Amino acid sequence: MVQLTRDDLKKVQPKIKAGQQYVKVGMSTCGIAAGAQEVFELFTKEIKQHDLNVVVTKTGCLGMCHAEPLVEVSVEGLPSVIYGRVNGEVAHRIIEEHVCGKRLVNDHIFDLPIRR
Amino acid sequence: MEKPIIFIKDTSLTGDSSREIQTQLLKVAREKGIEDLQVIRVADLGIYDKGVALKICSLDIIYVNVKLSDAEKIIQTTIKEGTPIEDLLLENQAMQTRIVLRNCGIVDPESIDDYISRSGYASVGKCLFDMTPETVIEEMKKSGLRGRGGAGFPTWMKWNLARGSFGDEKYVICNADEGDPGAYMDRSVLEGDPHSVIEGMIIAGYAIGASKGFAYIRAEYPLAIERVQKAIDQAYEKGLLGKDILGSKFSFDLEIRLGAGAFVCGEETALIASIEGKRGTPKPRPPYPSDRGLWDKPTIINNVETLANIAVIFQKGAEWFATIGTDKSKGTKVFAVTGKVKNSGLVEIAMGTPLRDIVFQISGGCFVPENKMIAVQTGGPSGGVIPEKNFDTPVSYEHLIELGSIMGSGGMIVMDEDDCLVDISKFYLKFCVDESCGKCAPCRIGGYQMLAILEKITAGKGTLEDITSIKRIAQGMQKASLCALGQTAPNPVMSTLRYFESEYLDHIEKKKCRAGKCTKLLKFTIVPEKCKKCRLCVTNCPVNAISGDREKGYTIDQEKCIKCGRCFDVCKFEAIARA
Amino acid sequence: MISAKINGITVSVPEGTTILDAAKKVNVKIPTLCKHPDLPATASCGICIVKVKGSNKMLRACCTPIEQNMEIITHDAEIVDVRRTVIELILSKHPNECLTCGRNGNCELQTLAADFGIRRDAFPNCVPDLKSDISTGTIVLDPRKCISCGRCVTVCQDVQNVWALSFLERGFDTRISPAGDINLGESPCVRCGQCSAHCPTGAIVENCEAPVVWQALQDPEKYCVVQIAPAVRVAIGEAFGFEPGANLTGKIYAALRRMGFNAIFDTNFGADLTIVEEATEFVTRFTTAPDKLPLITSCCPSWVDFMEKFHSDMKDIFSTCKSPQAMVGALTKTYYAQKKRLDPKKMFLVSIMPCTAKKYEIRRSKDMFASGVQDIDISLTTRELARMIKQAGIDFVNLPDEEPDYILGEYTGAGTIFGVTGGVMEAALRTAYDYVTGGKLSHVEFENVRGFSGVKEGTVQVGPHTVKVAVAHGLKNVEYVLNKVKEAKMTGKELPYHFIEVMACPGGCVGGGGQPYGVTDELRAARAEGLYDEDSRCVIRYSHENPHIKQLYSEFLGTPNGEKSHHLLHTHYIARPEYQR
Repeated sequence: MVQLTRDDLKKVQPKIKAGQQYVKVGMSTCGIAAGAQEVFELFTKEIKQHDLNVVVTKTGCLGMCHAEPLVEVSVEGLPSVIYGRVNGEVAHRIIEEHVCGKRLVNDHIFDLPIRR
Repeated sequence: MEKPIIFIKDTSLTGDSSREIQTQLLKVAREKGIEDLQVIRVADLGIYDKGVALKICSLDIIYVNVKLSDAEKIIQTTIKEGTPIEDLLLENQAMQTRIVLRNCGIVDPESIDDYISRSGYASVGKCLFDMTPETVIEEMKKSGLRGRGGAGFPTWMKWNLARGSFGDEKYVICNADEGDPGAYMDRSVLEGDPHSVIEGMIIAGYAIGASKGFAYIRAEYPLAIERVQKAIDQAYEKGLLGKDILGSKFSFDLEIRLGAGAFVCGEETALIASIEGKRGTPKPRPPYPSDRGLWDKPTIINNVETLANIAVIFQKGAEWFATIGTDKSKGTKVFAVTGKVKNSGLVEIAMGTPLRDIVFQISGGCFVPENKMIAVQTGGPSGGVIPEKNFDTPVSYEHLIELGSIMGSGGMIVMDEDDCLVDISKFYLKFCVDESCGKCAPCRIGGYQMLAILEKITAGKGTLEDITSIKRIAQGMQKASLCALGQTAPNPVMSTLRYFESEYLDHIEKKKCRAGKCTKLLKFTIVPEKCKKCRLCVTNCPVNAISGDREKGYTIDQEKCIKCGRCFDVCKFEAIARA
Repeated sequence: MISAKINGITVSVPEGTTILDAAKKVNVKIPTLCKHPDLPATASCGICIVKVKGSNKMLRACCTPIEQNMEIITHDAEIVDVRRTVIELILSKHPNECLTCGRNGNCELQTLAADFGIRRDAFPNCVPDLKSDISTGTIVLDPRKCISCGRCVTVCQDVQNVWALSFLERGFDTRISPAGDINLGESPCVRCGQCSAHCPTGAIVENCEAPVVWQALQDPEKYCVVQIAPAVRVAIGEAFGFEPGANLTGKIYAALRRMGFNAIFDTNFGADLTIVEEATEFVTRFTTAPDKLPLITSCCPSWVDFMEKFHSDMKDIFSTCKSPQAMVGALTKTYYAQKKRLDPKKMFLVSIMPCTAKKYEIRRSKDMFASGVQDIDISLTTRELARMIKQAGIDFVNLPDEEPDYILGEYTGAGTIFGVTGGVMEAALRTAYDYVTGGKLSHVEFENVRGFSGVKEGTVQVGPHTVKVAVAHGLKNVEYVLNKVKEAKMTGKELPYHFIEVMACPGGCVGGGGQPYGVTDELRAARAEGLYDEDSRCVIRYSHENPHIKQLYSEFLGTPNGEKSHHLLHTHYIARPEYQR
């Protein structure tokens, strides 16, 4: 056990550091029910295979449950994008086209609803 | 430098002219020497019914109702020169305000570091070191936060009452027994950002002088339980739970208690009974839990969403929080929008946002674009329907009550013309009848009898006196039931009677269900002129209700027919009439 | 004090008083079906609702404490209308079997329906098809008639700590039943009948055995004998319009004689005999076998059952004395039969008891067949006797007093107070004092064992000895006493008590499960007063001085705790499982 102090809190770093490339998979019940577990495993596997410098991580529900599984992808040179209705095939395309080829995958982009 | 990227989507209900505009944009760009422009046709932009919409990603500009002829100007003015075109800008768009869901979909719920790095537990630090329990409650009062579990009781008042009650031990309970059909806000918060709830509980514990908390989570939420347990373990690991939190003199323990799936255990006193290991039935109040709750000790019970708000209030200040929302309903509300809506999902809006904005602008309107939306149902089985004509009502505790519904915990079910409101209210009433604890007579028997009447009406056997009986039973249940479950169980029926009485009358007098949902009112017949005597219906009928021969033709025995509609579906010649 | 207004009338009551109780003070009667004055509110029927100014809800009067300056309306058109709806709803789930129901004429639901002038079935009947449970042989549970008020569950769990009854299922299907949906006979039920005494309807009633008794009375072959228990005489009058506590011993004898009984005895005689046996047992243990202390009384069959099920580790320190009922039973078919040259097989002994568990006691073990046949054939409750008197066309109110029959009818003041909590202790102490010191008490009343507090503790100076006693009534209160004993035994400390009296029912037998309905503490006190009053007027107030007891020993039994006594008047205990399956 580590007894954090109030000052320690400010020093804690997030899992994904600034500038780090990442793939976040929405893994709440809504996502998992739609197949997020499989997608998550596929991303982990392919990123390892391609030896890419991309962190794959879980996250909670993004709110657009109608489009689950949802995946947020952020790689250098491209805006961070949310893909919806991602299945194995789409996940594969995201790796090939978006992460490796720096081209967005048409038709699966679900932009975040406008927020304040 | 990011490459220029444009997202494009035709948001109109019919047709798709995005491809032409995409081609045009690319063509103009090339002509103007911009080679690396990407125009991406996306699945959804979160904008609806505003023609072709564009989002210029690098500039975060959104244009709507874009015509082919605008392509030239967009490329020249915006892409090349970086200036927005006022005429095309999106205006009056309803927006979500994410306070409760601030971390959902952003942090890894299983990483406490992720949470802490987004100012997590800073509010605990602020409260423990810079504030007294009294000033914490004072700040809560200033924020105007009200309970998100449904009733909207001011949170500070609950805390203050428990603070003022004497007890050698006090308890904080997180009510995560979310049970309304179609509602899953709390589940998403627990699964997506469990630490925000834990942080709220620690602050609540400090404010009332409790050193022990329970998270009462329904057993049907295994993932939420798993994530909350992980979060609790991590918080203990970092000294954020347990003895001397953050090195202060305040200690707080937290553990999970599982609910066995009784809806009524969301009621405070029943929930307490359940944690104590007793039959989960409500008890009369007073004594209120803040006075004598769990094991007769002063106890506060706050809903998940309420608790998830608390850290933010201390992080950004009560004044900031109070600027959001309406006069009497502060902050935001998360709704689980489901039903006949294009985008079902979680929506968090500032209080005061009109229903119409939630349903149409944020959730994209009807699932079947050509259908007419007729009502939304809020407050689950305790709430009521709000007809389309009242969609401009701002969402707040007061306004929804005026309309005969309630805010409830956040379920919002959208209904279109294919829904039968008598059937819907029967569904909700059945839910309450099934979930009644059976303790008090008005709810136990009243609900059953009222449901029997609705069954009768939807089977075409209703009479006008039945409406009188319904109203009579409803009055008995509302006035004489012990807890809110019984008191509010007639609400869906009463609100549909208020706004859609004609539908009831149609069922009773004309024996007709507009939406065709009440199958017992349907009548299937064979149209001899169209029938080709193929016998497909005869072989498919599960109850052998269709008889006849090729000479005389075929008929459906109405006594035997179970209205399953199989014959209607299989007939290739539209020779089965459904009325 | 808090003052408030009820229907415009100012009322001043102590803090914490409910609206229901405050209303009674100003002569306003708020109807209720679930609140029993004896029990905490279950708040389940929804009939006592009232309006409170400033609240848009209607509140339950039974459980809402009155607040300063509250303005309450208990009756207006809307409130009465809601109450009527709720009653109609309850009636829709209650069988229309009033005429054949055990509670016909004194059912609280029936009365309410009559008061509200219910003239039609407002809602279709939806009585579930459920079977009656008669497995205990003492009470009958008809779940169809249950209105789920929860009184029986409260009394079974919170007052008696037996937990035989609980709510099963939920919503519309809610019903009362032992846990696991077994029948009562297989449950921990100790047959105390407090559930039946508190039930507002006919859902739980005593197992009525009057027809068997009528049959025996008509049988010329049968020699019918009857005995009446102490607490019956001060309660039966309530069924005939007497003031509570009126002692009607002479009238009961007269009525029984008119009904055709050949001999009329009094259980009070048995009580005197029990004291002689038990006091002897106590003095013996106190002086020679302190390891078998404290002595625990055994006259209450529910308590015996409770001990055998839940505290069987105590069975060796239990008094082996049978109850007064059983002693009279054994002697009737031996001593009396021999005296009268009667064939015990042709004798039919009926006992009239304030109790449902006595119906179980008469068959509880082979010791209850001491005479060679079943000693007591039928045990009736006070309620059953009252009905039989009415059936027999006896004008009970105007009956002249009569005397019991020789020899098992004579009793002392010590015997009669058996019917109230603390009475056995008091009677035993009087005799034990004499046995130990050989002298008489100057003051025979032991005030510290009287009254209705759940546990009464005290010390009594008996010659050179300080005797520590405890009296508990209402089975929940037993735990406190037994825990102290167990702790002392475990740690080897000095015993907290030497002598413990336990009665299962609150108040003792005066509040028994077979007594007339509507028991409250005031009623228990009035009945107790009837017994204490008789005691104070008795010439003989020591059991061992009962001349017929003396005669019994010299003619038949020999010495107290002697061999014959042991055969006829003492019993054995075994550990019984709480659940039979």
